Amino acid sequence: MGLAQASIEAAGIPTVSLSLIWELTRSAGAPRIAAIEYPMGRPFGAAGDAAGQRNVLRAALEAAAAAKTPGEVAHLPFEWPASLADAQQEPKEPPPVMQLIARQPAMFLKLLTGTFPRRS
Amino acid sequence: MARTVDPYRFTTPGTKRVAQAWIRREPPHDVPWTPLAKPLSECVVALVSSGAIAMRSDRPFDQEGERRDPWWGDPSHRVLPRTATANDVAVYHLHVDVSHTERDLNCMLPLERLLDLEREGIVGRSAPSHYSFQGYLLDAREFLATSVPAMIRSMKSEGVDLALLVPV
Repeated sequence: MGLAQASIEAAGIPTVSLSLIWELTRSAGAPRIAAIEYPMGRPFGAAGDAAGQRNVLRAALEAAAAAKTPGEVAHLPFEWPASLADAQQEPKEPPPVMQLIARQPAMFLKLLTGTFPRRS
Repeated sequence: MARTVDPYRFTTPGTKRVAQAWIRREPPHDVPWTPLAKPLSECVVALVSSGAIAMRSDRPFDQEGERRDPWWGDPSHRVLPRTATANDVAVYHLHVDVSHTERDLNCMLPLERLLDLEREGIVGRSAPSHYSFQGYLLDAREFLATSVPAMIRSMKSEGVDLALLVPV
């Protein structure tokens, strides 16, 4: 996502990302980042929480307007309102690559190091 | 005191290891910069989600391709109109719990909230088109060569002043 953001910015359109793993987004050269401590899959908050979603969206856009320095990270102040257990939900079907690693644990190293087979 | 967001509070230990390994491997990048040309209250805003969200009437993202080859991810993208809601879309990402977004699209792609901010005058306008792609792309070359330029062309044709990108 960070690479896509940098490409759009370089093409002349200002960008900001709302990022959970903001270190990863920053490492790819994203120019403006609003970081939020929310669970994967719900960066704007819980289903049905319209007021909370609006506040996060507004804060991310205002962070874009306030940013002055390339690569700036604005740490948003929002606290996840529900429980940790609720936040740590995984997909019911594990991702294909995690199923592969469960069958062949050595494959985890390929994921870490990027030494997996690539389509040409 | 200002907080620092903990990126891994809600992730699994495996996700943390992978993210930290990828960060260490990432070469240094020049960080581009295009100044905002106008105040937020005059900006046309477009949203981009990596949640693999598509209109039900549109082509699904290729989940079977990834199941066959777990190192591969669908590099295409989809356009969603500014009025889309959960009833109109399907969510194809295989790496996150998509059930929340299937109930309420605004969890990942807050199009209804952007219309709220438009009505309130906080942003100028929600763009006619918004975008989603499938963010699990270990090899992003085709995505960067094809999908990203297409999104840029579309944003420029619609006069987008600010794009908000949202990894899931």
